[in-house]
Amino acid sequence: MSKVLATYNIKGGVGKTSAAVNLAYLAARGGARTLLWDLDPQAAATFLFRVKPKVRGGAGKLVRLKSEVPELIRGTDFERLDLLPADFSYRHMDLALDGFKKPTTRLARVLEPLADEYDYVFLDCPPSISLVSESVFEAADVLLVPIIPATLSARTFAQLDGLVEGGPGGLQVLAFFSMVEVRKSLHRQVMARVRSEHSFQMLGAAIPSADEVERMGEERSVVAAFAPGSRGAISYEALWWDVRRRVRPRTPG
Amino acid sequence: MLHERLQLRDRETSESERTFYDTFDGLLHAAGLWAVHEQGRLSLGGSNGASPGPSAAWASAPRRVLPIELEPGPLREALVPVVGVRALLAQVLVRSRSQAFDVLDDEHKTVVRMTLELPALVASPQREFELRTRLRLSAVRGYDKALARTRRTLERELGFSVPRRPLVDEAVRAAGGRPAGISSKPAVKLKFEQRTDAATVAVLRALLEVVQANLEGTIADVDAEFLHDFRVAVRRSRAVQRECKTAFPPAELERLRTEFRWLQRATGDARDLDVYVLEFDAMRALVPDGFAGDLDPLLGVLRSRRLTARREMVRALRSDRALALWRDWEALLDELVEMPGAERRAAAMPIGEFAGRRIAKVYRRMVRMGSAIDDSSPPEALHELRKKGKELRYLLELFGTQLYADEVVKPMIKTLKALQDVLGRHQDREVQAATLRTLREEVSALPGGSAALMAMGLLVGRVGADQHAARGELADVFAAFASKRQRRLVKETFG
Repeated sequence: MSKVLATYNIKGGVGKTSAAVNLAYLAARGGARTLLWDLDPQAAATFLFRVKPKVRGGAGKLVRLKSEVPELIRGTDFERLDLLPADFSYRHMDLALDGFKKPTTRLARVLEPLADEYDYVFLDCPPSISLVSESVFEAADVLLVPIIPATLSARTFAQLDGLVEGGPGGLQVLAFFSMVEVRKSLHRQVMARVRSEHSFQMLGAAIPSADEVERMGEERSVVAAFAPGSRGAISYEALWWDVRRRVRPRTPG
Repeated sequence: MLHERLQLRDRETSESERTFYDTFDGLLHAAGLWAVHEQGRLSLGGSNGASPGPSAAWASAPRRVLPIELEPGPLREALVPVVGVRALLAQVLVRSRSQAFDVLDDEHKTVVRMTLELPALVASPQREFELRTRLRLSAVRGYDKALARTRRTLERELGFSVPRRPLVDEAVRAAGGRPAGISSKPAVKLKFEQRTDAATVAVLRALLEVVQANLEGTIADVDAEFLHDFRVAVRRSRAVQRECKTAFPPAELERLRTEFRWLQRATGDARDLDVYVLEFDAMRALVPDGFAGDLDPLLGVLRSRRLTARREMVRALRSDRALALWRDWEALLDELVEMPGAERRAAAMPIGEFAGRRIAKVYRRMVRMGSAIDDSSPPEALHELRKKGKELRYLLELFGTQLYADEVVKPMIKTLKALQDVLGRHQDREVQAATLRTLREEVSALPGGSAALMAMGLLVGRVGADQHAARGELADVFAAFASKRQRRLVKETFG
């Protein structure tokens, strides 16, 4: 059974895709068979891995379970790391899901045939609150939430609490600070406060706002691969170590 | 050259040293497998391209690996069903330099992974022989078309080919070996009209080759099959000597037959004890669970006796008497066809006719012997029938299959085999019971001896019961062997 981890935040531009691709890369490098599903119609992860953002039959066929999912998967430049690409039609995925009786179970069902093939499945989600994000909550074991340490970020937790039904065996929510500028005193203050208020859910590792993280788009690769000794790369390694340590074993049934 | 035709990104270069293994008779090769030692691991690979096969840590490349003695684990479980009691022997050492490439598309994305390998056979520390350059392509998921395109470019435009034969086969051949190993079951082509003495020489020479091929492994105790195959080839030779004696000058043959008998006896105890030790667990399973552990002292005695028997056997095999036997036997085979024919009645007779007569004769003899066996017959009567059966089997296998139609020979071998299995079990159990009785004293003197004696008593009882059961099965298998249909077929075919 694969462990499904989704990077999610209601807001865009907080480092979801960077986290998804870097963590997926580190999982694969560590020997795990890993799949990244780029659910964002903007296809940033797909672009980074130099794969065509095209899924035969589009979102509609996929959620109707009419596609041969294994045939849609593409290998990346990295061994053991595969990608289920994004497609422009994903922008209408909400509509596609809406026609079903239990729309939020559809993404989980798309992943079902792959459960034995991968140790980890990463979902890179579009920023929104929609049927797609609800389906992601249903499909995922762990929600990884990047938070920029600004004043409003604490509200993220309040928003998430309303959305996610946690609890034993349910979805586990883990958050981490992203795009951190340690020189800013505001960042430092917010981080200290949020960590003290949400100590269970906050991961220790934080991703800095660093040049190399921004350069990913130009390099079309992951930080740990093109700048392995950089601050960014080391932060992602620390984050992955922290995530693995915290992920709960699946409860039976 | 490659870079001009394909968009490549150089990846790592690497060097490797691999030692390849197979059994003496090529059992892994026959199953499409190979065993290899590389970077501190011994692993099993296959031409079916299965993902990394089972492996086990092994610091440096061993010369010999006996799978039945491996620790329980995936490697042992994969090997034992294929090679049984046979040992894996280091065959060749291959040293390679490899360069890996990514084949890229227009987006600079890896679509195929490619490795160019320059292997060399290491014949001695100073000498290497280059083997064919090997190109390996592996697909990136979802890019099958790119793989096909790359392969086409490499094959049509650049003249590379993806080799069909595994590297190990090429290396073994380059080293002067046979990838399929050395068979201990020679199939000598014979013609019906061929002179009996010439045909007999051809068969006996092939058997002598088997004997000689297995001699070294027998002496070195590489695995139990060397001695077994050695003895089977000697026994087959003796059967041919006896059955075809009228093609030989009587005095010379008689003297050499005495020597062959000596050789067979000199290796008998060692083989029997090999079997006791190898099949000890099966024997242990015959006694009730609670007593099985008590048999340990018996295993110790069998092992130590085996070592003694082996020492005596090795002394015999290395003796001047043995050397003289090989020399004289080879000389006789060399000269036989040229020898005067006066004393050799069957020498010039067509082998088809001669072998057919012998098969018919031995078959009828067995039918008579078997029909005379009833509940009151002593075990020796069954033993004699079994000995005749072996002779018939060798006649059928060495001559019958080459000279007569499969429809006749194959069913005959089948019913004969069923009969021999029952007779063999009967005889083996008889010998086992007798051996166990002779070991009683020695076992009882050991720690745990009295418990072992009790377990041995149980074992003798079980062995006896199984012998009795075998005897009960004899009537049915003999009836099939001696059926009216089979008798008629023998008469029609062999006269």
